[in-house]
Amino acid sequence: MTGENKLRKGFKRKFPPLEILSKEDVEHIKQASLDILRETGMVIEHKGALKLLEENDCIVDYDTMRVRFPESLVQECIRRCPDTFRVKAREPENDLIFGGNTTYFMSTPGLGTVDLDTWEYREPTKQEFIDAVTVLDSLEHHDWYNCYVPYFGYKGVPEVMKMTMGLYQRLKYSSKFTAEGFANYNWLFNFKLAKAAGCELMSPALMVSSPLALSEFAVEACFTNLEYGFPVGVDTGPVFGATAPATIAGSFAQYNAELLGSAVLVQCKKPYSRVFGFGFAHPQNMRNGAPAFGNIGITLNNVMMNQIWRDYGIPRRNSASTYTNSKKIDYQNAAERMLPAALCAVSGASSIHWYGGIYGEITFHPVQAILDDEIAGILGRFLEGVTVNDETVALDLIHSVGPVPGHFLSTKHTHDWWQKEQHVANVFDNLTYPEWERSGKKDCIDYGKEKMKKILETHEVKKLKDEQIAEMDSIVEEAELFYKKRGDL
Amino acid sequence: MKEELFKNLEKAMYDYDKEKAKEIALKIVEENINTVEAVDVLSSSIATIGDKFSSGELWLPDLMLAADTMKGALAILEKELLNQGIERKSQGKIVLGTVYGDIHNIGKNMVGTLFSAAGFEVIDLGENVESKDFIEAVKKNKPDVLAMSALLTTTAPEQKRVIEGMIKEGIRKNVKIIVGGGCVTQEFSDLIGADGFEPTAPLAVDLVKRLLNK
Repeated sequence: MTGENKLRKGFKRKFPPLEILSKEDVEHIKQASLDILRETGMVIEHKGALKLLEENDCIVDYDTMRVRFPESLVQECIRRCPDTFRVKAREPENDLIFGGNTTYFMSTPGLGTVDLDTWEYREPTKQEFIDAVTVLDSLEHHDWYNCYVPYFGYKGVPEVMKMTMGLYQRLKYSSKFTAEGFANYNWLFNFKLAKAAGCELMSPALMVSSPLALSEFAVEACFTNLEYGFPVGVDTGPVFGATAPATIAGSFAQYNAELLGSAVLVQCKKPYSRVFGFGFAHPQNMRNGAPAFGNIGITLNNVMMNQIWRDYGIPRRNSASTYTNSKKIDYQNAAERMLPAALCAVSGASSIHWYGGIYGEITFHPVQAILDDEIAGILGRFLEGVTVNDETVALDLIHSVGPVPGHFLSTKHTHDWWQKEQHVANVFDNLTYPEWERSGKKDCIDYGKEKMKKILETHEVKKLKDEQIAEMDSIVEEAELFYKKRGDL
Repeated sequence: MKEELFKNLEKAMYDYDKEKAKEIALKIVEENINTVEAVDVLSSSIATIGDKFSSGELWLPDLMLAADTMKGALAILEKELLNQGIERKSQGKIVLGTVYGDIHNIGKNMVGTLFSAAGFEVIDLGENVESKDFIEAVKKNKPDVLAMSALLTTTAPEQKRVIEGMIKEGIRKNVKIIVGGGCVTQEFSDLIGADGFEPTAPLAVDLVKRLLNK
């Protein structure tokens, strides 16, 4: 098999997706998004983008930087977005093909790590950062890294360099595909780093500021992204009742308009570019103003996105659903995260934020990621559905075994099939009560810690070539010089 | 020839190939190859598989298929041992059965096969065995160990009834009693006055060895 044919398979959904909107609902929302783009439009704080959009028949008010999009252009740009596309990882076996009925699982970031005894937050060390990347590299169903994963930075790195250094470590210590976010001109260096490591980079470069605005920096990052020919994530994070209507349908119509407006800009700048719909829509906690993680409204938004963007034929990534308000690895954490993940999976998400994040984007821990690998396996098994044929129905076998004392445990059919049919628990406690007592009454967190230790002792990451590392080091030096000149260092 | 047959017998065990194992056992008998050594090959293979099961590398279907594979070949070799008047050196005698009201046999059979593999003489009373029949079998066979299985919460108390019956008959002290099954715990074993309990078949073999100081 050549490298061209290898890639991460993800999970293939083998049944019709969950849909929560009627056809009329879908058309109503689609039309509302088009109306928003045509009537209200978006503010785009970038002169080059305004000119480009004007050349493509948008109505542009240069004084207010307001752009109004004709419906025909939006429809044309939706058509230009590829419905499936491949992205290049450091190693071909980690390439991904987004779209269709494939679901991938990816990691989520934390500002810092968390102590598993006290559950207190703290800034990670460089070694903890590398260890967490290594754990994620090893996990079976973890397909790719989100931006800022595992942490937004680590001790000893200046603020402006944190995201770039985080990306540097991910590229160095993992051969899986990665995303990275944009701030402080880091797009001048991040794409270069990815290129030096021999892979593409997925960026949520075109990040909307809700409601309906794109900053100059977002457009700059996006245009740089397109110069490299890498796929672009169009991203937005409206807050229901704060930066978008409180109603799920209304906020979605605006969210959808923000993503489509961004996709139009991408397709006008470089037609047929690979676009991935991101999104971090969520309600506001109306007591303290924080994001209301764990709220089912987020999942309704994501499930709607999956239904409508499947119609558009554009890959979509579900985020925010799978964050928790819990500060611990506990019941609330699992409950607030797993149901949304399951619903996102069965409704056709191309990728789901999943691994490692504990509270919001504040804390991450590799043990959580190890437990999440178990759940990704369970969800993935569900997506693969039930195979029905003569061999699996096993009529002949049932006839031959017959009633008691017949049994199936020592049949070849059982031996050949049981592991394919079941998800076999890896770190969840599945001992009998007496075994559990003798094991020292361990729980899944204990097993997660043991597995993490074993991974760090045994997992080998495919290394970059010395010349690639040297090039990446020189890009980091270039970035440091740039920020020194700006007075940021 | 001998080495090749033994190697193939071992391979048949690891492949869970029942027919092949029986075929090789027959060939060993035909060729007058040392039957005791052939039994040792089966025993060491099943012990390896048991170890792998205990360490989590293999699963119940592996253990059951291996046990079935061994059972077929062992029957042929034991018959030949009997013909030759060779007594397989027994590690001890075990009477085994599933208690009254319970017709589950998988666990019991698995443990029985592993006992046989470990060199114990096993007298399997079957399933749904009444208390009086366990007591009768102990009186008649004078085993070193009585092993009782019960899968159901509703039938586990039968194990207690057997032990009480043995105390009444004055034969309790003559035999070590072990209990097992899905609903049995160490606490239950202690409560009913059994000598031991283990949650898995390979551990039950270790338990018997410990109880008999083997």
